[in-house]
Amino acid sequence: MSLSTAEALTDALREEARRLLAEGTVAVVVGWEAGRFPNQTTPAFISDPEQAQRLVYGDYCVNTLAKYALGEKAAGKVAVCVRGCDSRGINRMIADNQLLRDEVYLLGLPCSGMKDPATGSLLMKCRTCTEHDAVTYDVLLGPATAAGHDGASADSSAGDSEHVSDEQRFTAVLGIEEMAPEKRRALFDAAFNKCIRCYACRKSCPCCTCRECFVDQLRAGWQGKQNNLAENRFYNITRVFHIGDRCIECGECERACPMGLPLMALNRKMVKDLKSLFNADDAGMTEENSAALGRYDLGDLEEFM
Amino acid sequence: MILRHSSLEGLLSTLSTGARVYVPAKADGVTKFVLYSSSVRPDFSITNTTMPPKDLLFPQTQHMYRYGTDAEGVPYVEPVHDADDVIVFGMRPCDVRSIECMDDVFLTKGFVDVSYQAKRERLLMVAMACTAPAPTCFCNSMGLCPTAAPLADILLRPAGATDASGDTAYLVEAQSEKGQAALAQWESYKATDTSDADFEPVSAAVSCSLKVSMVGVKDKLEAMFDHPIWEQLSKKCITCGTCTFVCPTCHCFDISQENRLSEGTRFRCWDSCMFTAYTEMAGGHNPRASKSARVRQRFMHKLCFFEQRYGKTLCVGCGRCVEKCPVALDITCLIDQIGAADVAY
Repeated sequence: MSLSTAEALTDALREEARRLLAEGTVAVVVGWEAGRFPNQTTPAFISDPEQAQRLVYGDYCVNTLAKYALGEKAAGKVAVCVRGCDSRGINRMIADNQLLRDEVYLLGLPCSGMKDPATGSLLMKCRTCTEHDAVTYDVLLGPATAAGHDGASADSSAGDSEHVSDEQRFTAVLGIEEMAPEKRRALFDAAFNKCIRCYACRKSCPCCTCRECFVDQLRAGWQGKQNNLAENRFYNITRVFHIGDRCIECGECERACPMGLPLMALNRKMVKDLKSLFNADDAGMTEENSAALGRYDLGDLEEFM
Repeated sequence: MILRHSSLEGLLSTLSTGARVYVPAKADGVTKFVLYSSSVRPDFSITNTTMPPKDLLFPQTQHMYRYGTDAEGVPYVEPVHDADDVIVFGMRPCDVRSIECMDDVFLTKGFVDVSYQAKRERLLMVAMACTAPAPTCFCNSMGLCPTAAPLADILLRPAGATDASGDTAYLVEAQSEKGQAALAQWESYKATDTSDADFEPVSAAVSCSLKVSMVGVKDKLEAMFDHPIWEQLSKKCITCGTCTFVCPTCHCFDISQENRLSEGTRFRCWDSCMFTAYTEMAGGHNPRASKSARVRQRFMHKLCFFEQRYGKTLCVGCGRCVEKCPVALDITCLIDQIGAADVAY
């Protein structure tokens, strides 16, 4: 987005945050503030209206924020800055009964894709994003960039992240599907071999909201503690199956991964299969639980019974 | 001794005939210390490798012993010895300092960790002075110098001037008896047409651009256990283990076992104080159940508790956690905040 757009949105965000806090509508505002390094931002938690001027918005707000609502809601209503990814995360958590819509106040922000502060290039997760702008909000703080919404772009600089087709979205998956089984095996073995099991993927995921993750159920011992290919494979595959029909494709897991594992290729394989097998909706577009595997209708086919 | 960059490959090949030689390189997209072979391309410009060299002494998973009952039903316990002669070639001064911290933990205060000691005794550290610290490097502030690594057995310092052939030269100095003895193998690779006096090694003027003040930090922290800073700071932490696993000095582990029929293996794995289960006790009580208590523990250990026990900070200023934390929870910002905190000490 242009500098003037970013400045205008930052001003609008600060003003709205200050107002919401001063009026007592919300207890805390979750957004971003400047970090130490050029262009770097870091999640910010503002509860004092006088501190609202710390908030920033622009091209480098790389963190998705939805999951922070869970940690903050005990203090009162939580205002969360939301773009497409953040808002779908909120919807997902509502659908998963982790959050009530009333517990959050959503500050909708237009988004034309975020950039890596170190390189200035569009983040991988934003290159394949299908919903740039918030899909749900209480107030919209700027005109829609609409790059992901039926064509027309309100912001000329949104050109760096045009509407993403299914073909583009599933490029990596299609490439892997075409590989010979041995090559595919080698690709994932190499990836899982370098996994250090820091669990940043799980912790950054708005779908990973289990109070106790299977990994931590030490007495059951599903997940062995050794770091080796077998255990790493088990962890990564279980993770992707568990979030399979709920993944909102925010790409935060892949961004958070310090080892550069192709986690979104795994997630999108699930998304693609669910689409073709069940005509599944994209996750997190509404507050309803539309998960293909995680809910049932009385009218579901039972051919296998 | 002067060593030219073009001689390194030959030297590394020779060294790897008698030891496992690890060099900084990129493997499957991750920079770390990789076992040298003719197919590995060392990259001595990396500052710093994503993964520190600590796993060479303290592997993420280390088998300690096997046990079971043999065919006659007699129980046995069989220790696992897996120490080899290892040369780490191209360690940065901060990574050398991190080994000094690990030595404190695993070898001093009346407790010797035999698994660590076995590997440590067979380790030769060849350090390379930094000429271009990364923007996230802050070792100067932690009492280190980017061009000096006192604990290293051998120190390589890139020499200021490259010669007419355009080949970078390194001034090689042994800093220990072990290093001196090891240099015998290097003799045939040294540059013979020049002498040490012809080269000006990279000077102590090399300095990190990122600076923090550690003045009073430890003393202030002693009075800050209940300070609101921890609650505020920990809000953005997602309690993944990235910072602890990429940290060259984080050394916490957890002992576990796997059993199959009549035999089993006892092993230890890296653990992280960021994980809930880290302090969980058998009865279910967890003294560090809250996120803020865990974040406090990590930084207190780095900047206060370790210094109380061993007289040095457990942070070497390598900047790995600064670079890799997915939410930019930056230890240097914390140090600034502690400095600014109105706490009597």
